[in-house]
Amino acid sequence: MVKKILMSLLPKIAIQAKALRKEVQLTDARLTILQQINLTINSGETVAVVGASGSGKSTLLGILAGLDTVSSGEVYLAGQPLHQLDDDARAQLRAREVGFVFQSFLLLPSLTALENITLPAELAGIKDATARGRKLLSDVGLTERADFYPSQLSGGEQQRVAIARAFITQPAILFADEPSANLDAATGAKIEDLLFALNEQQGTTLVLVTHNPQLAQRCKRQLNMHAGELTELKPEVGDVA
Amino acid sequence: MWLNIAARLFWRELRRGELWVIAFALCLAVFTVVSLTGITESVRAALSQRSSNFIAADKILRSSLPFNDEIFRSAEQLGLKTAKQMQFSTMVFAGDLMQLVSVKAVSPSYPLRGRLELKSSEQADAKTSNTVVKNQVFLEPRLLQLLNIGIGDSLELGVSRFVVGGIIAEEPDAPLSVFGNAPRVLMHVDDVAATEVVQPGSRIGYRYQFAGDGSALKTLEQQVKPLLTVHDRWQSLDRESAVGSALDRAEKFLLLAGLLGIVLAACAAAVAASQYSQRHQMAVAVIKALGTTTAMARRIYASHLAMVSLFSIITGLLLGQLASSGAQWFIEVWLGDYRPEFSSRPLWLGALTGLICATLFSARPIWRLAAVPALNVLRQRALSFQLDLWQLVTGGLAIWLLMWLFSGDWWLSSWLFVLCLAFAALLLGMAAVLVRLAKPMAAGQSSALKLALANLRRRLWPNSFQLITFSLALFLTLILYFLRSELISQWQQQVPAGAPNQFLVNINEVEKPQIIQLLTDNQLKAGDFYPMVSGRVLTVNNEKLPESEGREQNPEQSNPEQANPERQKGEQQADIADNTTAARRDTQNSGSANSGTTREGIGRELNLTWLHALPANNQIVAGKWFGAEDKAQVSVEEKLAERLALELGDTIGFSVGGQPFTATVSSFRKVDWNSLQPNFFMILSPDLMQNFPATYLTAFYLPKQQTALLNKMARSFPTISVLSVDNILKQVNDIIAQVSLALTVILVLVFAAAVLVLVAQVQATLEQREQELAILRTLGAKTVFLRKAVLAEFAALGLMAGVFATLLAEVLLAVVQMRLFQLPFSLHFNLWWIGPGLGLALICGLGWLLLRHLLQLPTPVLLRRALS
Repeated sequence: MVKKILMSLLPKIAIQAKALRKEVQLTDARLTILQQINLTINSGETVAVVGASGSGKSTLLGILAGLDTVSSGEVYLAGQPLHQLDDDARAQLRAREVGFVFQSFLLLPSLTALENITLPAELAGIKDATARGRKLLSDVGLTERADFYPSQLSGGEQQRVAIARAFITQPAILFADEPSANLDAATGAKIEDLLFALNEQQGTTLVLVTHNPQLAQRCKRQLNMHAGELTELKPEVGDVA
Repeated sequence: MWLNIAARLFWRELRRGELWVIAFALCLAVFTVVSLTGITESVRAALSQRSSNFIAADKILRSSLPFNDEIFRSAEQLGLKTAKQMQFSTMVFAGDLMQLVSVKAVSPSYPLRGRLELKSSEQADAKTSNTVVKNQVFLEPRLLQLLNIGIGDSLELGVSRFVVGGIIAEEPDAPLSVFGNAPRVLMHVDDVAATEVVQPGSRIGYRYQFAGDGSALKTLEQQVKPLLTVHDRWQSLDRESAVGSALDRAEKFLLLAGLLGIVLAACAAAVAASQYSQRHQMAVAVIKALGTTTAMARRIYASHLAMVSLFSIITGLLLGQLASSGAQWFIEVWLGDYRPEFSSRPLWLGALTGLICATLFSARPIWRLAAVPALNVLRQRALSFQLDLWQLVTGGLAIWLLMWLFSGDWWLSSWLFVLCLAFAALLLGMAAVLVRLAKPMAAGQSSALKLALANLRRRLWPNSFQLITFSLALFLTLILYFLRSELISQWQQQVPAGAPNQFLVNINEVEKPQIIQLLTDNQLKAGDFYPMVSGRVLTVNNEKLPESEGREQNPEQSNPEQANPERQKGEQQADIADNTTAARRDTQNSGSANSGTTREGIGRELNLTWLHALPANNQIVAGKWFGAEDKAQVSVEEKLAERLALELGDTIGFSVGGQPFTATVSSFRKVDWNSLQPNFFMILSPDLMQNFPATYLTAFYLPKQQTALLNKMARSFPTISVLSVDNILKQVNDIIAQVSLALTVILVLVFAAAVLVLVAQVQATLEQREQELAILRTLGAKTVFLRKAVLAEFAALGLMAGVFATLLAEVLLAVVQMRLFQLPFSLHFNLWWIGPGLGLALICGLGWLLLRHLLQLPTPVLLRRALS
């Protein structure tokens, strides 16, 4: 009983990577993209991964989100061993636990703003998807744009729709890949505010990849990726090898 | 859950229009197959029904043995209409005069098809009837003159006496043979026994005539098979006649057009599906990143394909059936007596085509689409052209399978398929070379042209692929256009306006100038006079020829002109001079089999002529035509020469009226048996025949308003036989007009398929072009510059495709012309400007139409669209 109480007081682990390694086979050589990554991210943490282009940030994000597989090592997402799951099982886990915000928004051009937002909820089998979608649309200030297609929206509006889409399933973990890189400074700042506000509101774990030092500063933790190795720049909790 | 998403995405995709291209392509493939198969079957049915009129039945069983009532019972049980017919030659007597006549004794149900018109007098307004009456005979008008009797008088036939009930004004299966055709006497079949003409050993032709449903006729054929002997044989439409061969060529054309239409529609479906799949790669990556499994993504997109396929197949079937029914209606209006028959073949073949196109062409890209990794959301690679070997193989197999199913001809489909493959490979090689050449060519050009050439070079593989489909589409359209024109002009040449429609036979030397005078007086022009004598070929190189065994034993087969005068008009239209179908069949069937040392006799008399000049529709294939100084020579028709195993220089021994003589073979001739001109197997040098009494044959064109002249001619020259081929000419012209129309419809269909391929191809590049235009616009390119660049690129593609298509079309036209249609080869000069011109105009026009709106978009909108 005491043990159970003590356990509940300890922070929950959202993501964990042990001795993670990623290699790709080129025509005549084998390239190591990530080497010996050990990382623990607790629930509710906001973590920024910074680093130069080509340093392996996006690869790490892909692996942690269950989009990509490891060459060796172990990765746990919401307690599930991603390294042991097949493609479909990882997809189901993403549907339950993960939200995404991409640099180039990636809205489906054939769906309206509202339909884009409700899509993940429908995929996860959530019944009140439309009601939730309308609420989120209002949260991101686009109530009037519900029936607009992506091509009829500005970049900032598209990213706001993307953020609403990311939060509709109330995911435990949100991955954001350069969420404001395609936007001007003012719009980018608004998007970042929105992202952090919703994150705070829903208590989501946020892992974002960015070049932007200001954006990284807003996260509790900052990790630097350099030549496939990860170092902690702004340590709070957790250990980084 | 996935169904909801699939349905929502489906409707959105429909609104965006991308699925429509796949739908159109599938629909077109189904429509092409259903309409072409339906139209072909209707035309075939119409023509065979029409030829039924000329044999007065749908099917005839000919026998030299008396009627077997069991056969009639079987037919009646199957719901078929039946009629009896007996034919024989005998003498009739009227007072002191007697005449050899050809008797046709029929049951009252005769004719089952076509029209019999019996007149109570020779006056135009005389009372008419259409059935024979017992104890009466009906005569050919000239017989009244020959016997010097009138209607109502009586004559003796065998031991019976009959009243002349009237004259025969129209007889559906009247003989067209002009040799030995005694005047016709029509009587009731039940009266024959009383005449006692039929005795053991009499040469009587018995005919069982049947009419009714096609399947019942087939069943009957199967049922009575065990009852038949060597003395019985079925009669069917002869494909060697002018009508038969025109129809045969038209059918081949329809078949070819159908096959090419399928190839094009299938290409359009494949291109559209590939394009659809490429454009949706990111969407699939996104929904997979959001938690969709591969299986679910596959279900979503497969359901789209299923819905599109279902819609397209149903629409294609409906439209195809509609076109087919339209054609049937048209034929019905045209022919009047056409009885449409429903066939399910076009429908199931169409549905199967749709399914095969959907599964083997479109399913593969959709299958691959669902396998796009979710990780692509992070990579965001530009969509690249990927050649899917597996799809090429399955698609290729599907095309071949469809061709085979459609044509039912393994050889033709394989041949055409391999040819298309070879062309595609050749084009790919040529395209690659040309596109690579674009770089050095670009140097020193204007910047818009430079950009166009750079674009062509940069997208080498997609452009090569595009070039292949453009070229193939143009090539197939050109082929059909030229073949259609060629077929129509060949048919028209066969029956040119003002072609002789009346033949005069049995003209003696004295009558010759009188006939010329009569025609001249009536502003008519007599054709050449062909002298003729009947003779037998006895020896070749002094070696006696064997008689054709068994031929004389069966009067049904021995001498068609005498024993069986009522052969089909369709097959007899060219039955002038030596064009007896049986003789032609003899030579054609046994030609190669007897090309060794074994010679086969002819077994019948030939009509021999002697001419100074080679007839216009004859062609020397070996040796040379005899000159004025050449003596005792003979020119032989090539097939007969094969049958007799003749070589140039051989000596043939003839017998004319018991007088033997010999001639040396100096040439072999190819004869166009389909021409409505006198044709001869043997043409002798004039020196040989000077001492033989000959009669002459001539032909002339008689306008419709002057037909009264024929009666005058019959009265003035009772011994001359007048043979009118007006009906045949009309029939041939009708068929040509019908089939030409059908060919035009088909051409339009195939052209539509080709345009669809082009649209699908240009659409496939739209997204990439949109991005490029956005970049170029951002960099400051003006609209005029971009317009020029786009036009130049499409013009280059169109011109190249047009030139390739022209080259290949010329080659294939030569092959198809000579091999498939047996037409002489000719170079198509028009092709050389139509081909490149069409390519340039069509591809440039389509490219411009499809890209125009992109070029007109303001830069910010273009940028937003490109980035979204």
